[in-house]
This record gives sequence, C-alpha cells and structure tokens, in this order.
Amino acid sequence: MEITSMMSGPRVADLSGSGSVAFGPPVRLRRFTPEKVVCNIVLAIIGIMFVLPLAWLVEASIDRLATRQIQIPVFSLVNFILATDPTRLLALLNSVIISAIAAFVATLPSALAAYAFSRHHIPGKYAIVLFILFLSGVPINILIVPVYQMFSTLDMLSLVPTAVFLGVTAIPFELYIIKNAIDAIPLDLEEAAQIERANTLRILWRVVLPLALPGIVAAAIYGVVNTWGNFLVPLVLISAPEQQPSPLTIFGFMSADITRYGAIAAYSLIYSAPVVALYLVLSRFFRAGFVLGGAIRG
Amino acid sequence: MMANSRAHSKATSSEARDLVRLDRRHIQWSSLVLLSPMGLLLFLLFLGPVGYAFYLGFTNLQLIGINSINYRFTGLTNLIALWKDKEFYHSLLLTVYFVVGSGAIGSTAAGLALAMLMERALPSLRAIVGAVAVLACILPPVTVAVVWYSVTTAGGVFPEMIGMGRDDLLYKAPMLVVSLANGWSLCGLSMLIFAAALKNIPRDLFEAAMLDDATAPQRFFRITLPMLRPTIMTSVLLMTLLSFGNFTLVFLMTGGGPEGRTNILPVYSYLQAFAYHRLGYGALLGNVIVVISALLGVIFVGINLLTGLSTRRIRTIAGRA
Repeated sequence: MEITSMMSGPRVADLSGSGSVAFGPPVRLRRFTPEKVVCNIVLAIIGIMFVLPLAWLVEASIDRLATRQIQIPVFSLVNFILATDPTRLLALLNSVIISAIAAFVATLPSALAAYAFSRHHIPGKYAIVLFILFLSGVPINILIVPVYQMFSTLDMLSLVPTAVFLGVTAIPFELYIIKNAIDAIPLDLEEAAQIERANTLRILWRVVLPLALPGIVAAAIYGVVNTWGNFLVPLVLISAPEQQPSPLTIFGFMSADITRYGAIAAYSLIYSAPVVALYLVLSRFFRAGFVLGGAIRG
Repeated sequence: MMANSRAHSKATSSEARDLVRLDRRHIQWSSLVLLSPMGLLLFLLFLGPVGYAFYLGFTNLQLIGINSINYRFTGLTNLIALWKDKEFYHSLLLTVYFVVGSGAIGSTAAGLALAMLMERALPSLRAIVGAVAVLACILPPVTVAVVWYSVTTAGGVFPEMIGMGRDDLLYKAPMLVVSLANGWSLCGLSMLIFAAALKNIPRDLFEAAMLDDATAPQRFFRITLPMLRPTIMTSVLLMTLLSFGNFTLVFLMTGGGPEGRTNILPVYSYLQAFAYHRLGYGALLGNVIVVISALLGVIFVGINLLTGLSTRRIRTIAGRA
C-alpha cells in the first residue's frame, strides 16, 4: 500500500478526496470461496501483464547483452555508462532547467490568483474559475502550430521561452489545486491575524502560505512532471540540438540506435526516476501536511 | 426589503457616496494585482494562441518556402481540402477508436474491473498489482512508448509469449498495440478513482440486496453501477482528455504508420504541419480536435443527464436507509 497511496498526487487528489487511498475494508479470508479464487487468479494474470513491460525495462538496463526478451541478465553497468555520456547528461540537465522554469512560471502566478479567487470578491469569479479549469482539458498539441508561428516570428525558438510556454499550459490545473488548498484554510485564522493588526502581506506570508504549502507543492510538482514528460513541445519549439531535453534523446535513441536496447532502457530508467521520486515525496507530504492541529477550536 | 433600502440610500445619497457600504462586498484593487500575472500569461500564451490557431487554420501558411512569410487568408480553401481529404476521415475514425475505445471505455472499464478485483484480492497481491498499476500511470509517456515498443516488436516479450515468435506484433496490429499501451498507462489512475468511490457505497445496500436474493450481476447492475455513475463520468472524461493528449505515445511507437494505420488526428495534425510543411492545414486539423473534444464532453454530459434519473431514485432510497 506504500506506493498505491502515493497517487493522492495532483491528478487525483481532488477526485478521490485527500489522504491515502485504500482498497476497501481489510479483507478477512474466512474460506476460499470459488469467487475469491477466480478473482485472485484473474488479478494475478492482469498483474503479470502490468509487470512484464516494466520487468523488461529493469532487466534490459542491467544486462550487457540486452535484447527485447526478458532473460537472465549478464550483469553489467555498461548500459548506464553508455546512457550517461556528456551529451545525454546535458539533455537531462536541460530537462531539469526547463521543468524548474516552467514550475516557477506556473506556480507563482497561480498561487497569487488562487488567493484572490479564494478570498476576494470578484464579480463572476465562479464562471471565470470554471472557464480556466476547462482550459486544462484543451489538448496542448493544438497550441503547437500557433505558438511555433509566434516564436519563430519573434526568433524565440529556444529553451527559456519554451519553458515559459510549458509553464503556462500547467496554470489552469495548478490554479485549481492551489485554490482548493486555500479554500480549505479556515477564515478564522486570517481574521485572528487581522485583529492582531497584521497587514495583508504579513497574513499572506505567515498564515496563508504555510497552511497552503502542501497544495502549492503539489501544484509545483504537477508543473514539473507536466513539463518533464512533454515531448512534442520541445521537439517543435527548441531549434538548437544542445538545448533539447531528455525526451528528445530517447527519440534519437529509438530512431537511430535501435539495437542498443540496454542503453535505451537504462536511460529511460534514469529519466523516469525523478518523476517517481516526486510522486513519493508528494504522498509523504500529503500524509504529513494538511493537519491544522488545534489551530481553531469550535 | 429591497425597495426599502433603495429608498433609504436614495434619501441619503449625498452622504453615501463617500461612505463604503459595509453590508456589501466590494471589489478590491489588490485582487487585480494578484490576478494580472496569471491573466497576462494565460492570455498571451494560451487564449491568444487558441484564437490565432483558429485564424491560421484558414490561411495558406507553410513551414518553408514563399508562403512561410507571405501567407494570406484563403477563406474556405482549407475546409474544402479537409472535406476531400480521405486520410482525414480515416484519421478521424482511428481517433474515435483510440480515444473512445481505449481511453473512455477501455481504461474506465479496466480501472473499474481492477478496483473491484482488488476488493476481493489477497492483501499481498493487491499491494503488488496496485503499486505496479499506479507506477505505470505515473511513468512519463516517453518511457511508456519505449517500453511498449520494445516488448511488442519482433523478438519482444509479448510476441514470444503468444507464440508469434519472430513476428512484429506492433506491425501486425499497430492500432491494437498502441491502444493497449494507452490503456496500460491510464487505467491505474481510473483504478484509484474507482477504489475510492467503491468504498463510499453504503454496505447496507448490498446486504439488503443479498437478503432479497439478488444475484451478483443484479447487484452490480442495480447497485454498484448506478452508485458509481458520477465517478464513471469523471473517469470517462478524464480518460478521454488524457488519451487525446497521448500524442507522444503513438508518435514514438509508430510515427502514425505503418501505412497510416495509427494516424490519429493529433499525429496527423503534427505530420501535416511539420512533416508536409502545411502549417495552416495542420492548425485546421488542430481546431477539429478542439471541436471533437468539446463535442465528446457535451455528449458525455448529455448521457449523464439522461441516465441521471435512476441514480437519483437509488440515492433517495439509500438516504432513507
């Protein structure tokens, strides 16, 4: 259950309620009914279908003689050495830079706007928030032609503008996450601070920010993951090869170096690890955070 | 009340003008400051491009050559080209197959099945399958493409397993393979959504049904499904949108081929724009995607409203119990 509960991540947190997700009440097996036996067997078969592709990924990455088949590996780290040559490491670094910029560009404006939407009186704000949330459903692929045209006209086909654009595509959903987090903070705390004559900035910094932090971190992680995984946008919008992030390296691997299965697998593993790690961090964060302790007593 | 207060305010209008009314919330200028960075960014790099794409769809813009700079509005030319484009209809069909088949229906059904199986499974098996399914859905699409490409091409794990040996499964049944890969990478999410929702169905309903000798299929169709309806809607919408966004998976695994057999609209739009250099036509295809996803959304909501009656009845019964 350790990992299953980590999907209280950005994509799910709002749908399944906060906290960890468990599968039903604890099962007590009094006897093996035929129904249960069948269920377990079916689930085991589905499980194998799920595991096999991942098992290949891990096996091939440590196998010197990797093929497309799962086999007993001839253990070696040669694949990882191949996968971490300077140009490929540079691509990983580019991915880090792009994701960091995008997360910043997305999270700060979203957090500010989320506070305004949550606390201020804005005419028609529910319609506006709903409209912005609706934008998160627009497939990003369709923006690629106009943004390409804009960037190429302005001679901006490079890393930073691309990162900013990717950040903007994450804004609608980040706004939604952060607004939910701020909505959950009781107004009493802010009113108490106001009575103590704290000014707006101070209230924001000392009361709202710390309490909304789990939500803001979740949103930022969504921003990072959203950018980290994007392939099409950097493919089209970044013209210089040395500025390309990791997905493009994998694309290069797949179209050219097709016999080096081991190196592809190793690189994919390295590339995927941060995403998995971030989701794990997120799940920890959510289990620890969001507890207002005895901040208010009814 | 209303008339009274209005008359009152009229009477004292000269003083009221410089007094702030405390019984009404008013607009703060600071909200404008807080909203403007987001508003500006969204306008410049999201809404603007959407509008621009709409315009570009009606131009003869090219990626290279003379029309890359001197492009102009060509009216209905692109639409007529679209109307006559056989590949477009083919692509449309494949898109519906991919998005509705593997996304909306496939992943949702698989997720529901997984969540229900999980409820009855041994704890250890449940933990392992749950972890792997979730892992599959948080992996970046590029990794999913690498993995599925490798295990389904010639000599891969799956062709060997079903005895096709040296055959290339990805070449033989490309659409099926990319659909499976899409479902594989999505149904963990749908499983989590359903697992949470299944827990919220009151046990009493099932106990009452069992007392009345309802069979398992009856319990499923009369209780579980109606009670899960809002969740199913959520999952269907989410899976549809995520499948539409899954350009990367298909593009990396097949590039739209072989012979255009996996040429779903997002891939076709990319190919037209950046491989055949027809940016204007590519933008038009992108607009078609927006129209379709909006249409699918409306259809799903419509179905939701139409089937809403039966659920409401059950909810009232559940509420009474």
